[in-house]
Amino acid sequence: MNGFAGTDAAGTAATWVAAAVTVGVWSYFAGGARIFRLAQYLLAGLATGYLVVVSVREVLVPRLLLPLAADPGGVPLSWLGLALVALLVAGRWLPPLAASVPVSLLVAATAAFALGGAVVGTLLPQLGATVLPASAAGADLASALLGLAITGLVLFTFLHGVRRGRVAAAAAGAGQWLLLGGIGGWLGFLLVSRLALLLDRVRFLLGDWLGIVR
Amino acid sequence: MIERVAARPWLWPAALLAVVAAALLLSDAAGSWLQVANPDPARATEVTAALDGLPDDAMVLVGMDPDLGTYPEIRATVRAALSELLERGARIAFVSYTPEGRAAAAAEVERLIAGGADAGRVLDLGFVAGAEAGLVLSVTQFGAAGASFPAAFADAAAGIAAFDMTLVVGGLDIGPRTWVEQVVTRVPDMPVLAVVPTFLQPEVAPYLRTGQLAGLLATVRDGATFASGVGDGEAQPAALPMLAGMLVALGVIGRALYVVRRPDATPGRREPDEQA
Repeated sequence: MNGFAGTDAAGTAATWVAAAVTVGVWSYFAGGARIFRLAQYLLAGLATGYLVVVSVREVLVPRLLLPLAADPGGVPLSWLGLALVALLVAGRWLPPLAASVPVSLLVAATAAFALGGAVVGTLLPQLGATVLPASAAGADLASALLGLAITGLVLFTFLHGVRRGRVAAAAAGAGQWLLLGGIGGWLGFLLVSRLALLLDRVRFLLGDWLGIVR
Repeated sequence: MIERVAARPWLWPAALLAVVAAALLLSDAAGSWLQVANPDPARATEVTAALDGLPDDAMVLVGMDPDLGTYPEIRATVRAALSELLERGARIAFVSYTPEGRAAAAAEVERLIAGGADAGRVLDLGFVAGAEAGLVLSVTQFGAAGASFPAAFADAAAGIAAFDMTLVVGGLDIGPRTWVEQVVTRVPDMPVLAVVPTFLQPEVAPYLRTGQLAGLLATVRDGATFASGVGDGEAQPAALPMLAGMLVALGVIGRALYVVRRPDATPGRREPDEQA
């Protein structure tokens, strides 16, 4: 049971709609492309409507309009925000230079936060943890050597255009099998992951909708 | 036989659905005699150890930003973690930085309250716009300036830094990586746990080694181990349908290999009956 829809009339209607759309999407395999496309349009329409509601209810009104209405002189930054929003909305009818101001600010700020965070939070700590083993002896050293050996063998697999001797060919073959083993292991994880998603839908149909399973 | 199946492409999906549904019905009738095993419970143990380190009456932030498409994979694990936090007497506050996450958070808060959780110990902080910028702002502030919170969460106005722990339920847009980069670098002492779908594991697992994450549950089996460890047996996935589904999937892979490797699979070559 996904536990989202209640047992009242609204919950029952939601369950029936969700079940109908689920079956509609699956009908694609049996050639029901129109129903599938309808479900896609429904998703796109609902997602757009939902985004508008979230933007208005949780961002524009409480964060921008209400503070401005309560204290128009006390929040100069909000006036600037309102001007940028207006520029963005009216961008289609304004000169490209004016419309590019809010977009540029948006892209620049996002890039600045993302880049700074990536360097300080990921690049440097990961380099520190990867390049230098925690201790130069024992299990860490063995892991580092094993990692280097496997990486080398896998790299041999991609060595094209170079004449290979018997040893290099054997190394490339071993690298190929290691690569296949790694991809196979990862595929196994993903298979279980996707089966869990399918199982959730089947359980929804048999449990929440039809009430056959608990 | 293989050619006949290939002529009906809907047959494999239909077989998969039928087998999974039959196995689910059988599993439901016969009870949980088959369970998902995990030979390596280290990840679940790390998460439980982090929860053990929480102080009494802890205030925990749940950064709820899963993708709607993959949330069902981790939903049972997330619910087990939430009920374990409430069981331990923690106060939990939900916040989202993506609209998708906001939908999941609102649904989970409603489900918790409807399920009998103390409404005074669950807070919905809503949606914070701005993605990374919003996260950074949240480090020192939640809500508009001067916003008031219920008495149990009065400290929450001071932002993420006021919480004892964060549980990140991640997705593709905002996940543990973003939290580590934008929040852990600013609040390094706060433990961060993460629950993510399997496809994010390679991206997130390195942060465990650096100690930037205190715990990570990123696969179905890790989630099942954690759930059974905290006594939430209902949260475990049904193993029999999973097994049946995997067998069908192996059949599909075998068929694909047969089609690719058979000698007459040269592109452009036509079957004798097609030529006729």
